[in-house]
This record gives sequence, structure tokens and C-alpha cells, in this order.
Amino acid sequence: MMNSLSGKSAKKHINVKAALSMAAGALLGTTTAVGDAKAQVLKDWQIDSAFLFYSEADRVTAAEVIISGNRTFINDEVLNFKLTIDSLTGASANGAVAQGQAQTFTRPSGDGQYVTPVGDTPLDDTFKDTRVQLNAQWTQPIADNYTASVGGHLSKEFDYLSLGINANLAVDFDKKNSTISLGFSHFQDTFTPIGGIPKPHESMLIGDSNSPSWDEEFAHTRIASSDNKYTTDILLGFSQVINRRMITQFNYSFSTVSGYLTDPFKIVSVLNEQGITQDYIYEQRPDERRKQSIFGQAKYHFDQGLFNSVVDFSYRYMWDDWQIKSHTFDSTWYFPLSNWFGKQSYLQPHLRYYQQSAAEFYQPYIFTGHGLETNQGFVSADYRIGEMHAITLGAKYGFTFNNGNDFSVRLEYYQQTPTNAGFDVPAGLENLTVYPVVQAIILQISYSFL
Amino acid sequence: MKNNNLISPRSLSFKAQEQGYSATFHAMASPCEILIQTTELNLVKKITKLVSDEVWRIEDKYSRYNKDSVCSHINNSAGQCITIDEETYLLLIFAQQCYQLSGGLFDISAGILNQIWYFDGSENIATSADIARILPFVGWDKIVLQPNSITLPAGMALDFGGFGKEYAVDRAILLSKQITALPVLVNLGGDLAVSGPRLGDKAWQVAIEAPEENDRASVTDQINTDQRNTEQVSTKQDIIVALHHGALATSGDSKRYLAKKGKRYSHVLNALTGWPIEQAPRSITALAPQCIQAGMLATLALLQGQNAEQFLSEQAVTYWARR
Repeated sequence: MMNSLSGKSAKKHINVKAALSMAAGALLGTTTAVGDAKAQVLKDWQIDSAFLFYSEADRVTAAEVIISGNRTFINDEVLNFKLTIDSLTGASANGAVAQGQAQTFTRPSGDGQYVTPVGDTPLDDTFKDTRVQLNAQWTQPIADNYTASVGGHLSKEFDYLSLGINANLAVDFDKKNSTISLGFSHFQDTFTPIGGIPKPHESMLIGDSNSPSWDEEFAHTRIASSDNKYTTDILLGFSQVINRRMITQFNYSFSTVSGYLTDPFKIVSVLNEQGITQDYIYEQRPDERRKQSIFGQAKYHFDQGLFNSVVDFSYRYMWDDWQIKSHTFDSTWYFPLSNWFGKQSYLQPHLRYYQQSAAEFYQPYIFTGHGLETNQGFVSADYRIGEMHAITLGAKYGFTFNNGNDFSVRLEYYQQTPTNAGFDVPAGLENLTVYPVVQAIILQISYSFL
Repeated sequence: MKNNNLISPRSLSFKAQEQGYSATFHAMASPCEILIQTTELNLVKKITKLVSDEVWRIEDKYSRYNKDSVCSHINNSAGQCITIDEETYLLLIFAQQCYQLSGGLFDISAGILNQIWYFDGSENIATSADIARILPFVGWDKIVLQPNSITLPAGMALDFGGFGKEYAVDRAILLSKQITALPVLVNLGGDLAVSGPRLGDKAWQVAIEAPEENDRASVTDQINTDQRNTEQVSTKQDIIVALHHGALATSGDSKRYLAKKGKRYSHVLNALTGWPIEQAPRSITALAPQCIQAGMLATLALLQGQNAEQFLSEQAVTYWARR
């Protein structure tokens, strides 16, 4: 090496960047605090990849891989492809209530049975599915201040096919400080569950699945092999830059779903006066649902104070004609750590609180002789449409490599607590867990490369 | 016009674009470009005039090719103490700080080494005798700098080319900010800075061109559609960068090198030894709040030779290096 070693070793411990910043400030008559620098590589394709692991204690485990590619063209047109593959395994609550004795259930396929031990929440452990999802989106400016976007969606599971289209229009005004957007999407889903679609209110057939008459008897509990669901969403959004530190977003959305909205895997326990299960019947939900929601979000960047952090807070209120009402509070707090680790890194804590009321036809169980006469016979014991609250607590850590690639890891804890929305508890259930808490861990690793 | 014939005529041309105007002109032996995101042509003309006048002023004042420049005045002082103004003093103090920060590797008095090194891709390596003859006339430590004067020993020469263009970019941004809060990008032959993000907090898209295809590694703004179309044909592996704040400057030049016995000599010279730096990247583009800072970070990194990338990583600088 011919270059001076003295120069190199002497500089090792000098912060050249800071010294140059001061020297440049003196030369230009600006303070050194002035000015930040921010840039990232766009290149032809920007590829984002993420691996997500979700695990509920004793229940479902999901692993998901997402690969997303973005290509920006000359006139700001953007093409996006997103491939999602997820695999779900484990057990899911079948809707029946825990009992003081073991319970036997028939698998949704009609092929065999499973037994839930004394006192446990009945879980159907046959859940195993792999879903492949493909989204494509094309976005382009169509005139000054007008941006349009169209996209397609395909999702395929073993027993499920979903096809969708969407279109969006965004209009900027007030020097692009305000944006109004209008979105529309339509999905058509086809459900072909193994074992077919059960007849609502029909009793679950339980017995010897090897008997010669079993298949015929099971077929009597079925009404079809597949059914469809149609979803139309309309979104109206408004975003406003308040000042260079704060931006806000407001959305209103309207969604209408029609068709087969019942969960073919869910049953309802029929109890006697003492709370002892006499029967299990298949649930039934209305074939229409209209959902509306309002959403507000504010992002605030603390320029000088509070470690230059960015606070993001949002609230959503959702209501539908099933009488489910929900509130979601979501907040993240972004802390840049660039000077701590030598790379551009950040830490982002996350807190989310969710609360919902039960659907009007939700019943954790019904009693022999009554329970179906109200709500036109609609009934479901699915905890996901019951009264509950949930909390998510976690953090994300990420850093940017010098070549502009990003890496991040997110770890979160999720707890869902169903509560009793005023249903009578018969004596036989008093010492049992009717509303079990669901706990889950979410781990996500993301890498963006260019 | 008082400048010499190396410089093309001083004129501005304007072009309306989708989201504003671009103005192009020629200065400092480079194509220059100003982008302003407004539809008010009068404002564009006002800013452009101010900016181009400033760039040409700096060129006239500090070009070593202009015999009337302050630079020539100093270089022709024949060892006499001569008076300098505040701007010149501040630039020389900046040069002195870069000299100190680089441990002497960067030196604005090293320009005369180009008298013996011709980086034309040939095998013409300078001889040790040549270097020994020139080296006594290189060295910032031999110069006496006072707030109002400089004494440059006879036979020595200064060259502001190491940061003159970057300085002009920063001055241009400062001046434009005094007139408008609208987004402005100033690009002087690939060294560029923005006054802030484009309207709607959008980034400027700039291309860092692959140096193999160009005489100079230059950076051209991407919203200039026409230019971009031709570039996409002629260049490969451009890196497209979204620039929100700050400045990008590129140091290095892949076409200017010497090669002998399989050894590649970059055009970057070590001011202490008079020899080229070995194993330096072909070019480095650095990001910093000011263009002059970005340019100096890239240059100081090149002087680290094979450790260029490590140096920038240790300094937590965002950069793109080409080897």
C-alpha cells in the first residue's frame, strides 16, 4: 500500500462526518443543525419479503411468506405484484361449550371423530390449510393531480377460491397538501368445504362412522357441496397535511356482503336446564351483512424534541347490521436510533386495543326447546362475533443497510378476552370456562432489497 | 463576457414539465440543471437567474483556467503575500480542515501532480524522478493563511476543483430558499442538492449513472422525461435514488486511470506520496445534508483505497460505491 497509513489510522477515531458538517456550516454560514439528508434506492424492482409466524397457545399456528415486487416506471406509473403463501395448522374452537364430561364430535368431513377432555374448550384439530394469494396493482397519474389505480386479486385454498377486482382514484389539491380518494372493490368467493355444507340447525351426527349406513346418514345433514359469497366495498378517504410535522387521514367505508356467510365448521351446544349438553346443531347466519366504518389517523413528527420520534395514532369505529360495533385504538411510536448503532436503525413500539359487542344472533349456547325462535332462527356461538376485547403489545426493530436494503423484525403479544354479554349461566357451567382467553405470539421478519 | 473560450456561451433554456419547469445551462465544464416545482414561469426565471449567476460567479472567481480569477491571482503571486476576501478565506479554511481530517491525503495544492500523471488508460506511469521533482511544490503546510491574506510559495498552485462545484450547489440552494419555499433541485454536472421534498412530501427521483458509460459519473434528475429516455438507452445499471432531503455528490471517474502490469492506477492521487491511490472504488456517491459535505465524504473515502466502503460505514454515511 502506498497511501499513507498515518492518515488512515489517525482518522479511525475521528468523527469525520461531524467535523465536515461543522466545516460546511462555517463555510456556508448555516448552523450545523440545519439540514437532514434522506434518500433511498428505487432501482427497477424493489422487492420486499416478509416471513410471519403467528401462534396461538394450544390452537392455531400460521406461517406466512410474503413477496412483493414494485416497479416504478418513467412517468411515475407503479406496478406491484404481491404473492402471499400461508399455511395454517392446529386447532380451532368449534363453537361448542366446555362440559363436565368428555365430549365427542364428528369431524367436518364426516370422516371420523374427535374427543374433547373434561372441562376443555372443544377444539377441532383438523385445521390444515395452505393458501396462495396473488395481487397485482397498476397505479398511474392520469392528469395533473389525478392518480388512478386498478388491481386484481386471486386467492386459492384447498376448499376456497376468492377472485377480486379493485379501482381507486385519488385527487390532490391545495398544492398536494390534501388528497381525496375514492375506492371500489368487488370480491367473489366460492367455498367448497370437505364434507359439504351442513344444513343449518341440523344436529351433528355422532356415532360409528364405520357403520354401513353412516355415509347416507351424514349426507342427510348436508345441503350442498359449495356456496358463494359476494363482497362489495366502497371507500372514501381524505388526507390532509397539517404542517410539515403532521399529517392526518380520515376514511369512511361501506361494505356489503351477501351469500353464504355462515361458517360450515361451527356448531352450537344445546343444553338442558342444568347446562348439560343434549345436542349440537349447525349454526346459521344471515345471508347479508352491511358494514360501515369511520377511521381517523394522525402522524406527528417531533422534529427537535423527543428523540425525533414519530407518533402514529389511529381510531376506527365499525358498525354493522348484525349489531356488531367495534372500537380499535392503534398506536405506534417510531424512534430513530441512527447514531447509536452506526446504521440507520429504529425501534417502533406498538400498542393496539380492540373492543367489540356481540352480533345480535350470537349465543354461547342455547337451551332445548328455545333459542331459535328469536332473530329469525339465526344463531352462532363463534367467539369471534361475540363480545370481547383484545390487546396487542409489541415492538419492531429495523435498520437500513448502506446499500439501502431494509431489515426489520417485529415481535408482538396478542390477547383476546371474550366476555359474557349477559347470557344466563346454568349451574352445570358455573365451574367451567365458557369464555376462554386466546393468547398468541406474532413474529415477523421483513427484508426489502433493491 | 470575460471568461475564456473553454466555456460555452452563458445562456439558459427553459422547459415546462409535468410538475414544474427545468432550466439548463452550462457551467464548470458540466451540464447544469435547475428544477423548480411551480407553474409560475416568472418565479422560475427569477430563481434560475439568481442561481445561474451565482454558479457562474463562483466559476469565474475560482477557476484555475480563468486567468482573471482569484485562484489564478493566488497561483501567480510568486511567493508574495496577497490579500483575499472573506469568501476565499472561508473556502481556504474549509480546504485546510479537509487536509487535516484526511491526514494530508487531500490537499488543494496537489493539483500540479497532474503535470506528471496523465490518466488516459495508458501504461504511462510517472517515474519516481518526476514525482521527486514535483513533490516539494505540494503541501498545504507550506502555505501561510491569514484571515485577510495568503502566502503561497513560488512554484505552488491551488486548485478549487475538489469542492468548487459542490460549494456552488450549496450556495444555489441557499439563494433559492431565500426566494421560495417551493421545491427546488440544483444539479451541477452530477453533484446535486434539493431544497426539500417535492410537493406532497414526495421524493425526487435521481439516477446515479453507471460510470462505465460516461466521462463523468453524473447524476441526472429523473423527472426530466426527455433526457431520461435517452439515458435509459445509453446507460446500464443506473441506480435510481429517491432523494427527500439533502445532497448527493459523486467522486471518482472510471475512465481516468492507468494500467500497468495488471495493476490499475486510479486518478485519485495521494498528496503525501504523489502516487495514485490503489484499489479505490471507481466512484463513490455519498449522501449528506450539504453537497460540499457529501462530495468531501466521497473524496475522503476514495483516498482510503480498498478501505473506502469501510470508512463510510464507520462514519454511518449512506453511500453507493462502484468498483
